[in-house]
Parts: sequence; C-alpha cells; structure tokens
Amino acid sequence: MLEVEALTVTYGGLRALSEVSLAVTVGQYVAIVGPNGAGKTTLFKSISGTVTPSAGRIRFEGRDLLSVPPAERAHLGIAHVPEGRQVFNSLTVLENLEMGAHAARDRRSFPRNLERIYELFPVLSERRDQLAGTLSGGEQQMLAIGRGIASEPRLLMLDEPSMGLAPAVADLIFDRIGELHRDDGLTVLLVEQRVAEAVQSCDFGYVLETGRVVLEGSHRSLLADDRIRKAYLGM
Amino acid sequence: MGGRLGFPLLIIALIALGWLGLGLVVGNSYYQLMLTLVPIWAVMGLSWNLLSGYTGLVSFGHASFFGLGAYTVTIALVQFNITPWFGIPMGMVVGAAAGVIIGYPTFRLRGHYFALSMLAYPMALLYVFQWLGYQEVPLPMKREHPAWFMQFSDYRAYIAIAVGLMVVALLVSLAVERSRFGMSLLAIKQNEPAAEAAGIDTLRWKMRAIMLSAAVAAAAGGLYAVVLLVVTPDSVFGMLTSAQALIVALFGGVGILWGPVIGAAILIPLSETLQAQLGDVIPGIQGVVYGLAIILVILLAPEGIYWRLRDRFHRTQAATALPPVAVEATVVRLAAPAARMPILTVSSLSKSFGGLRAVAEVGFEVNAGEILGIIGPNGAGKTTLFNLLNGFLAIDRGTVVFEGQSLVGLKPNRICRLGVGRTFQVVRSFARMSVLQNVVVGAYHAESHDAAAFAAAREALRRVGMLDRAGILAGSLTNKELRLMELARALAGRPKLLLMDEPLAGLGAAEVEDMLAVVRAISAGGVTIVIIEHTMKAMVRLAERFIVLNHGRVLAAGKPTEVTSDSTVVEAYLGAKWAAIRAGG
Amino acid sequence: MSDFGILAENFFQALAAGLLVGAIYGLMCVGLGIIFGVMRVINFAQGDFLMLGMYATLYLTGALALLPLAGSGAGPFVAALLAGPLLFAGGYLLHRFLISRVTGTRASAFEGDGHYAQLILTLGVSLVLQNGGLILFGSTPQSVRTPLSSRAWEIPLLYDPMSSIFLNKARVIAALVSIVVGIGLYWLVNSSRLGKLLRAAADNPRAATYMGIDVNWAHRIAFGIGIGITAIAGGLVATFNPFQPYVGLDYVIIMYAGVVLGGMGSILGAYWGGMTIGLVQQLSTLVLPTQLQNATIFVVFLLLVLLRPQGLFGRSAERV
Repeated sequence: MLEVEALTVTYGGLRALSEVSLAVTVGQYVAIVGPNGAGKTTLFKSISGTVTPSAGRIRFEGRDLLSVPPAERAHLGIAHVPEGRQVFNSLTVLENLEMGAHAARDRRSFPRNLERIYELFPVLSERRDQLAGTLSGGEQQMLAIGRGIASEPRLLMLDEPSMGLAPAVADLIFDRIGELHRDDGLTVLLVEQRVAEAVQSCDFGYVLETGRVVLEGSHRSLLADDRIRKAYLGM
Repeated sequence: MGGRLGFPLLIIALIALGWLGLGLVVGNSYYQLMLTLVPIWAVMGLSWNLLSGYTGLVSFGHASFFGLGAYTVTIALVQFNITPWFGIPMGMVVGAAAGVIIGYPTFRLRGHYFALSMLAYPMALLYVFQWLGYQEVPLPMKREHPAWFMQFSDYRAYIAIAVGLMVVALLVSLAVERSRFGMSLLAIKQNEPAAEAAGIDTLRWKMRAIMLSAAVAAAAGGLYAVVLLVVTPDSVFGMLTSAQALIVALFGGVGILWGPVIGAAILIPLSETLQAQLGDVIPGIQGVVYGLAIILVILLAPEGIYWRLRDRFHRTQAATALPPVAVEATVVRLAAPAARMPILTVSSLSKSFGGLRAVAEVGFEVNAGEILGIIGPNGAGKTTLFNLLNGFLAIDRGTVVFEGQSLVGLKPNRICRLGVGRTFQVVRSFARMSVLQNVVVGAYHAESHDAAAFAAAREALRRVGMLDRAGILAGSLTNKELRLMELARALAGRPKLLLMDEPLAGLGAAEVEDMLAVVRAISAGGVTIVIIEHTMKAMVRLAERFIVLNHGRVLAAGKPTEVTSDSTVVEAYLGAKWAAIRAGG
Repeated sequence: MSDFGILAENFFQALAAGLLVGAIYGLMCVGLGIIFGVMRVINFAQGDFLMLGMYATLYLTGALALLPLAGSGAGPFVAALLAGPLLFAGGYLLHRFLISRVTGTRASAFEGDGHYAQLILTLGVSLVLQNGGLILFGSTPQSVRTPLSSRAWEIPLLYDPMSSIFLNKARVIAALVSIVVGIGLYWLVNSSRLGKLLRAAADNPRAATYMGIDVNWAHRIAFGIGIGITAIAGGLVATFNPFQPYVGLDYVIIMYAGVVLGGMGSILGAYWGGMTIGLVQQLSTLVLPTQLQNATIFVVFLLLVLLRPQGLFGRSAERV
C-alpha cells in the first residue's frame, strides 16, 4: 500500500534521512523505532507533505505521492496523528473530531464513525463539548487518534503516541491501536521511541538511527536483538 | 574595524563635489529645490538606517524626530530669535532626548508591537501640536543679517548646506559601519539571543542607535524647516514623512550607507516631477508612486537595489581587505587545572511553565577542564537547562554558582563576560561578510581595542582549524564550517566554560569526526565543555562523563560505560517493557 | 439645573455616545481581529479598507436611491451591508496575489520572521489606496446623508425629568446594525462548518493540513472576511462622520488599540476592546479638548502595549 524508496531529506546541509526504504502492505502493522534525532518524524512529514524530500520516491496505492499537494493527501486516505498530539486547542472535542472527518469520502458515515470513536475512548464522549486545550495529555492523545480515524482512513500513521504519557495511559493507547488493527482491519504505521510497546504488536519493524535504516525484521527477531540498544545508547 | 577607508571616502567626496557642481550649473528654481530636497531625504533615510537598517527593528515613526527637529528650529527662531545655525543642533539634542524617552520602553517590545508603537508616537505628536495651536507656522524673513539666520537669496547656499549635512550623515554612517558599533547592531539584527550570549549588551547598543538616529533625523527636519520656510504638523509629523524615510532606505539598500543616497536620488526626483507635472490633474500621484515602489521592492528586491546588484556580481572573497596583523595574539593558555575542581555548581534548579515542570531539582557539578555530556530522551529539559544557565530564562528556584559567583538573575551578556560561552543549534551568519568579521563580534566584550579583537578572532579561528578560511564570505560555507565558525565566535571571547547545544546534529560521519577532533583540541587548551547531544555513538567516545536527564530530573550521572548500562537509563530511552524483557531473558 | 445635574447629564450623554460609537468600533476591531489577532498578519492598510468601505457605501447609496425603497432612511445602511461582500472580494484578491507572498510558508525567506515584509508590503498598499482614493474621489470631505442623521430621540433621565440625553437616530440604527452583523459573524465563526475550518487552520496550520484543510485557502477567506467586516463598519461610521481619502489613518490606531486591549486571538475580545476604546474616546471629551481625543487613544494604546500587552482577554504576548 505504501512504498518508500531511497528517501533522502536534507535541510540546508543537514541530512535528516539518507536513502531510507520501507514498505507497508494492506492490513499490516508496521513499527519504526529509533533514538531521538533518527529522522522518524521527518519520515512522517515527508509522507504527509509538510517536508519535501530531496531524493527518492513515495508511492501510495500505486500513485506517486510526492506530486500530490499536502492538503490533498488526507483525502487519499492517509491519516496522520502528529507528534505531540497537536489537537486544535481552541476547538471543542467534538469540533476536533468533525475536523478530522473533513477528509472522509462520505460525510454521511460520520455519525457511525463517531459512535466507534466513543466506544474506543469513552472519555471523549463525556468531554465532547470541552475545549481540547483543557484535556489531559492522555485524553488529548485519544482525541488525536479519534481525529485520525474519523475520516475512515486507509492508512493510519501515529507519531510517538506515548510521548509524555504515564506508562498506564500509554499501555491503554497501545491496546486501542492494536484493537483498531485487529478488529477494524486498519493498516497502521507507528513511530515510537519505546521499543517494546511499539514492537510487541507489530508485524514488521524498522530501526532508524541518524537517518538510516540499521535493522529490520519481524517483531520477534527485533525483540531479541541487542543491536537496538546500541542504536539508542551508542554502546 | 579596519578595511580601507579610502575608497568610500573618495566616493563620498565625489558625490559631494558632483552635487555641488550640479548646483552651480542649474538655474531653474524648481530643480534647485529638488537638489536641496534629495540630500535632506537622503539624510532622513540614513537616520532610519542607523536604527532600523542595522538592527532590524523597523521604525515607522521617524517622523517624530524629524518633526521635533523642525519645530525646535521654528520655535527657536520665531519666539526666541535664535538662529537656525544654533537651532539645528538644539533640535538634534531634543531629537536625541526623544530617542531615549521613546526607545527605553519601546525596546522591550518585539515584532509588530514595536512597529505599531513607533507608528503611534508621531501621530500623537501631530495631534498635540495641532492642539497647541501650531497649525501653520511660517518662518519670519530676516532682512538684517540674513546669513546669520540661515536665509540666503542665492539658492545655491541651501544646496551647499544640504550637501554638507549629507556628507556629515554619510561620514557618521561610515564610522558606525566600520566600527564595533555597526557590527554589534548587525549581530543584534542577525540573531539577538546569540548576540546577547556572545557578550553584547543589546539594550545599550539599541539605545545608542536610536539616539544617534533621532539626532540625525532631527537635523534633517530642522534643515527642512529652514528650506521650506513653513511648518505644519501634518508635513513633518505625518505618515508620509515616516514612510519616506523608510522607503528611501529600503528602496536603495537597507543597512548600508549608500542605500539611502541611491534611494533618494531615484525616488525624490521621480515623485516630485510627477507631482509637479501631474499634480493638478492627478493629486496624490506622489503617494501612489511611493506605494508601488515599496510593493515592487519588497517583492522583487527585499533588501534594496544596492544588495540586489551587489549579490548578482558577488565574489567569494570578501570585498574589504583584512586588517593588517599588527598585534600578535597573546595566546592565553589557561592553567591546566591542578585537581578536578568544580567550576560550575548547580543545585536544586527548578523551572516551571504554567503547570509543567520543565526542570525539577536538578543538581550537578562540572569539573574544570572536563568534557561533560548532557543527554536524555526527547523533551527531558536539556535545552531549558542551558537557557537557565545562560540567563535566557528566569530561574524559579535553586542556585547556579560559577567560579564562586552566583549567576542567578544576571543578563546573558553579563554571564558571557564572566566567562560562559554558548553555541546554538541554528547558526545564522552575516552571509555577506567574511568569516573573520563574523567571529570578531564574539571578541568585543573581552577586548576594547579593535585590533586586539581581531587578533583574538584570528586565534579562535586557528583553534578550530578555520584560519585559512578567514577571508571567505560566510554565505558560501558548508554546514560543518558554519558550525566551526559559530564555535570560533564563542571562543573569541575566551570563555572558561563553553556550553554547546547539539553541535553534531545532521552532520555526516566524516564531519562528525572532524568536530570531535576540534572539541578535544579545545578541551586540551583548558576550556571546560558541556555538550547537549543526541548522537550517542559519537558522544560515548567524546564525553568523559554524562548527566542523564529525564522529565526534567537528573536520572543518572557517571562514566559512559556506567550510564549506558544503567537500567533506569535504558528504561528511559527504550521503554520499561523492553528493559524488563532484556533483563528477564 | 444644578452644576451636578449638568455634569451628570454631560456624563450620560458622553456615555451614550461612547456606547453607540463603541458598538461600531467594536465591529471594526473584529475585522482587524480576524486578520491580526488570529492570523498574525499586520495589515497597515486596514484603515484604508475602512475608507473604501465608506466610499463604497456612498456610491451604493446613490445607486440604491434610484430604486424605490420603503423609507429612504434605510438606504445607507443597506449600502453599508452591501459594501461588505464587495470589499471581501477585494481583500481575497489582495491576499491571493500580494499578501500570501510574504506570509505563511514563504515568509522564511525574509528576515525577522516575515513580519518585516508584511509591514512594509501593507504600508505600500496603504499608500496606494490612500492616494489612489485621492485621485479617484477627490479631497472634498464627503458624508452619507440620511434623513435620520438630523433627528434624535430624546430620552429623559430617570432621576431628573428636567435633564435628558439625545440619541441621534442614525447613530442608533448604525449601532444596532453593527451589533446584528457582529452576532451574525459570531454565529458564522463559531457554529458554521466554514467557521470551524477557519478556526482550525488558524489554531494549528500544520495539523489542519494533516486533516486535509487547505490552509492557504483558509487564510485568504479569513482575510477577505476581516476586510469585509471592517468595510461594513466603515460604511456605518460614514453615516454620521464625514470622511476623505486619508481618514484611514485616524482609525488605524483605534483598531489596533481595540484589538490589543481585547487580547490577541480573541474575536469577542476585539469587540469589547473596540467598545472600550469608543467609551474612552467619548468620555475623554469630558475632561480634555476634543482635538485631543485621538491623542488620548494613542496614549492608551502605548500604555497597554507597554504594561499589559495581553489585553483583558488574551493569552501570551510578544515581550522580551
């Protein structure tokens, strides 16, 4: 469904990504892990269009993504749950979800999607008229994910959903993501710093370090590999 | 600052002589008036440049000073019979005072608030003067001793005075540009926090700039009153006056003394001619021309014609020659520390933003001569910590003691002068100046003589291995070279402690090696170094000790091998579950 | 009548005047608030669009007078409302072709976060509009005449049947129209789908792009709305104040003062800010000569910016 070939991104003289290649097939759950500064967020931004790569290609469902303007990519079925949640602070929970549905193919399915979102994250239903900026970190993350699935996407991309969250809340989030993958058949691409949480549910994983893929494999093989620690801590 | 003065002085002399020559030849009184107005507006543009062109703080209110100068001369003549020969200098004093009164509170503002406030001052003055009854004040004709009262029957005298004022303004601008005054202002424009951290007292320089700028503008206003012989609040405090000062400089070239001259020479004749020819049929043609000129300039040549042309014909070598090596740098080799004594002691340092605790109860010591690495996962508070140490953020609680002196509450430039240097992640350079000129700004606080400052800058470049690139324009440097130049700027101030913020980010493998070698060499020279970095592979080889931060707290401290196998650190970076899995099986 | 009685009557008169004119200043400030408070675009030409709104109202009133309308008093107010969409189009085009080049993602090429370029560009636009207006409309002060301008309601003050205040009918109608427009805008921004899209784009442009919202389009629309609203306010002011092509300058500082007072980013705040400025302006005439009323506003503005830049309702400010 998504193919990234030899993607290179440079800001000025800084190489954020060098020749990164990866693939996500329909229905897969792919995780990308790596330390800070590895380029994980840059990768997502390239897919979403807020960053322009200097070399390489990205194809989504066979179509060249780089020629599609950023604001249209969501309408193709790519949902991006950004790093740091990035909810619309001055809009209510419900309004945030409505904005998420902006890219949906069929607006009439919004009420049904809304039910599903409330089912997954009941707290959003309770706080539907509250301003998003007043929610706690965990609630904002749930809102961001809800916003992402409100458009019935074909691919859900999540950028460090556990950042800044307490472990129990992070676990809940990961459980729900797993549920979305299993029960709803959603294709998921996840970027995370916390290795085990990311890798435990995934089908396939990649490890990024200073802009390159240094390791890839199934979740079992990655969990057993000490080279991940080296990638993070240098020794 | 050095550089050959001969060339610009020659140009100034040529302009002056050429203008005077024109003045001798032209007989038509309309053109004579124009020949007088062009220099006056050039002076106004130069005054705007002195503040806004060099510092980047855009002023829309220079009419305040112009008008005060005009009214000082007028009131002095009308009510106290004081000649404009004295009146103009008096106006300059009034202008400078206004500059101080306006500058002090307004400089605390940023961005659009500054611009809007500056707009408000002349408008307020306009209403006040209207209310005071100075609707239209003609300057009285003095039949006896007209020359004493700056009144001449031969118009060429006015042209000569105007040219004289322009020459003075040009010389002042030249002196500013070629001295540390101008360089400090440019450093402020380029990156004010970095300038503060390099030891430049930004507020003081800005105040000096506005005083000088206001005095020059007031002089222009005073002469304007003498030439036109009538002053109304609208003509001197009005929006068009402020706009004209700005446009003339912007059109011709921002931040360079030739800009306003070029701008005035093109725009004033153009608009005045159009006004004269078409003014009856199309009133307001002048304003439309200025408006269109601004729009075109800002879209096509945002910094003015001069720079547009110069960049087109640029060379990689710096235009000004390097100053002669007269003073040998006294190589200050800091005494190697006898024992590892703490040079910086931080304890219980805390900072919160709203409800978020960015830094909580952080305490550690930095030993003299060591290389200390500050690491931690994303959002751990590392850069906030640096900003607290540097003085950019106010400390909520805790102490920071450097060589026995508390740094709490001190401004960044003061902390720099005590011996703490800082490099930043994002390097913004003076692209059109040489590497050496970029670096010398960091030496100003340590050396009061320019020659010594340049020597210190050269020494710093030598230490980072960039001395051979000293004459190259900074705009053509590679990323690694920019980082090294930034490092040299911090070293030029001879710091004892150097805080480096992510110097390795985004560099390729070979470049990382080069940077490591440079950092080790600097450390060997006796400078204590504290580095924030993410690139762990390189850091484990460079740093002697690590402090690990997580969620604003110190998680662990110790040697690289200890810290990287510390289970709490592993957990912080890779997640609790992974640490558990690895520990378990 | 006692001295106190006269004082009280003057006070209430000034208060009433302040509320009436404040209602319209509020609308003006809302227009700027959308552009400055929300999009952080500094528009020096805002006052000149106000001026264009006044002239548009003048000419539209003339055109409408040719049509039979029930009660010729309504003409100018309808014209003022029509000036809105007209200037909306003007603002939209201005943003599309000029302003967008110096804001948003393209701004990084300029120094000083692009603010510098915005300031200068809109200054140029302002000069062109002012002087172009001078060429097109001439310098004679104009006003929009309505039979209501010369009539007033006399309202006796409750505590003393001998004193009363006079409410100019035209001003009252203008204030009411202003309030209605304000309420309409409030509904648009808060409840309509378009309003939510605009608010999302202003709140977090990057996240909005991820949602598939075209942020550049949203900025253009918001800019156009801001201009259109200010133009309507201008048209309403035109029914009781004379104007000429340079009138915009007088109002620029009023608008910015109102927006800053109400707090950046708060549209409702901008309305209250404008209302407050109107009250300050009118009440100041009780103690200061009329010529200085605008100078008072400048002083208020300067004090605000120096002492409390976040205004009454706003969030953080740009201070060193």
